[in-house]
Amino acid sequence: MTTLIQTFSDQARNMAARSPWIYRINAGSCNGCDVECATTALIPRYDVERLGCQYCGSPRHADIVLITGPLTARVKDAVMRVYAEVPEPKVTVAVGVCPISGGIFRDGYAVFAPIDQHIPVDVNVPGCPPRPQAIIEGIAQAIAIWRERL
Amino acid sequence: MNFVKTLIRNLVRGPSTEVYPFGPAWTPTHFRGRVDFKLSSCTACRACEQVCAPGAIRFDKTPEGLRFMLWHNTCVFCGLCEHYCPTDAIHQTDDWHMAHASSRQYEMVIREIIPYVSCSTCGAKALASAPSPAGVVPPFTAEEIEIQRDLCPACRKKALAERGVQQ
Repeated sequence: MTTLIQTFSDQARNMAARSPWIYRINAGSCNGCDVECATTALIPRYDVERLGCQYCGSPRHADIVLITGPLTARVKDAVMRVYAEVPEPKVTVAVGVCPISGGIFRDGYAVFAPIDQHIPVDVNVPGCPPRPQAIIEGIAQAIAIWRERL
Repeated sequence: MNFVKTLIRNLVRGPSTEVYPFGPAWTPTHFRGRVDFKLSSCTACRACEQVCAPGAIRFDKTPEGLRFMLWHNTCVFCGLCEHYCPTDAIHQTDDWHMAHASSRQYEMVIREIIPYVSCSTCGAKALASAPSPAGVVPPFTAEEIEIQRDLCPACRKKALAERGVQQ
């Protein structure tokens, strides 16, 4: 019986591992990184969906979270609430230098950067903004981490 | 009007999706990516630290010398450091493969120490100076430059004044 359950859960894991869904949180970004994120998803030139992932509209459906922006004081509570709604196992990708270190807003009075003080971050994609290929590279690393966690 | 060229090329050549990440990606020739620091050219003028908008470049005094530090995770790749570097010690390469696991985020740093040398005349501690600034030809012979490089700023000032008197 135990072996059967094991086999079943392995198969379920293999089936699930094919298509992580991506959710994007804007933590007070200037929209530069958001435009690049949208570019990777919406423009057939970069087409992130070839990696088997898709952008989704609800945090409850997401597996990989892309966070942009330095976590401003105004959006902090909303970001924490939305982030908590993403089910485990989740992988967080910090897109752009703002969530990683604060970028040009570092040590500013209105930002809570770096974001890893509040949210566990798994992959960093530095750039201001990073180019779409770099975001795809980051998402590919995130998918590898996500498969391990599953 | 570059987009018209792209449009026509896409129409003629068919699928326009880039092969990356399953193949190499095209990079523009003047892409501003990962910074490359050439220690032998740095003259420690700290102009890059002055102009760096996000404060990614920092100079610290250490017992061995002046330490140059640049953290790519704060750098916004604006290119001001390269523009203002008088000795061409800082270059931006076209390398954009910088996505990394966040456990390695403090490895994205350039740390180089501009060493102290002792003055050949008075023995005082001075920073090793770099070759002449880019685009400037100093009115000295190569041997004179080599001799002056071993001096501390005070002795160099004195030596130059004496040289001026002799001429």
